[in-house]
Amino acid sequence: MKKSREFNNILDECLERLLTKGETIEQCLQDFPEQADELEPLLQMALATKKAITIQPHPEFRAEARYQFLSALQRREEKRSRPFFGLRPRWAPVVAIVLALLLAGGGTVAAAGGSMPDEPLYRVKLATEQVQLILTPSALGKAEFYARLADRRVFEIAYMASRNKPEQIEQTAHRLDDYLAKIASLTSTQEVTRDVLMAPAVEEAPLMPKRAEGARIEVNRRARLRATIMHYAVNHPERLRAVLETAPESVRSAILQAIAISTRGYEKALESLD
Amino acid sequence: MQDEESLVRRAQQRDQEAFAQLYEEHFDRIYRYVALKIGDKTEAEDMTQQVFLNALQSISSFKWKGTPFSAWLFRIAHNQVVDYLRKKTKHAAAPLDETRASSDSNPQLMAEHTLDIEQLLQATKKLTKAQQEVISLRFAGELSIAEVAKVMGKSEGAVKALQHSAIVALRKILSVT
Repeated sequence: MKKSREFNNILDECLERLLTKGETIEQCLQDFPEQADELEPLLQMALATKKAITIQPHPEFRAEARYQFLSALQRREEKRSRPFFGLRPRWAPVVAIVLALLLAGGGTVAAAGGSMPDEPLYRVKLATEQVQLILTPSALGKAEFYARLADRRVFEIAYMASRNKPEQIEQTAHRLDDYLAKIASLTSTQEVTRDVLMAPAVEEAPLMPKRAEGARIEVNRRARLRATIMHYAVNHPERLRAVLETAPESVRSAILQAIAISTRGYEKALESLD
Repeated sequence: MQDEESLVRRAQQRDQEAFAQLYEEHFDRIYRYVALKIGDKTEAEDMTQQVFLNALQSISSFKWKGTPFSAWLFRIAHNQVVDYLRKKTKHAAAPLDETRASSDSNPQLMAEHTLDIEQLLQATKKLTKAQQEVISLRFAGELSIAEVAKVMGKSEGAVKALQHSAIVALRKILSVT
């Protein structure tokens, strides 16, 4: 029993060395000369099994599956972001949907949600975003929305890099640049600044409860937006640098440009939120 | 390269890039595991996709309590395979002849043991359920003994014994056929 346990351990050690460390059967047998006769045929069988099992899915399926999975990720993220705009008037989403339907038709809008910059429905996606943007009240609300869009664009740049599409990366990076500039401009507008100045100190008793409460909400939203921007300021360039590591030569310069845009853009956005 | 724990934590915090990375790292292994278990390439592709969509839905429920993420993921795959095989009582395996073997083959080994996926599928069907599971997880899923033990709910010693008996049995079956 003990001997058998010992042999099981030796067999497993050899398998680890063969399968994960790339050692040869001979190297392993040298270390266990007493068990060599019993070990050798089993190790050969194990290697033949490993070899036979090294199958891969069709490349077309892999590409399609990856795309569907990334779209599912994107949809999940969009669902999560809904409370982010919870302060919009109740009628806003209804009007947004109606306008979007007028623009493109319900099925098209739904299908466009997960579309990527190299696809025909991407224009519908951008148009829908613009409608949502128009219907988002307040400068702070719009800045929050632009932050969400910036996250989407970075995701799309990474995806376009995997599909070797330098042109789309450049276009998407320009959009990212535009959004980050808008965040900087919107968060330094009078509306936002006034709201912040009106906010009472934490320990101060509010003289006009409703107004003070409203200002406090604005301060919290601004702090939340700043935290989001700070997170993206690190995460987005980092994500793009990771993409750059494995990217083909043809897209490298476009990705470098996107990294520069995101680094510079977030710095400015953060300055305006300080 | 970030360690798996930090990647999983990021994925749980809805970091899309982290989840995409986990997907890339595990996709082929899950596919091979499912393909070997059900013996149908097309179904294996669809099921592999479903494993990741299920993982996406339930990743927030995953907790680091000594269970590696890969073991959790293979558990999802295992459950799906069991469901599939249960539903498909008259299961006819589609040949896997269109699949590709890796190109870094060792000519000496191939000369000694030319074993293709079809032969292996036929042979593994003659193993016990537990032996099949160990071979699928260890060789197709590339899990360590500790991870296999977690997926199967057995001790490492028991998994090593099963691994030994499965290889012996495979060798015997293939030398007869």
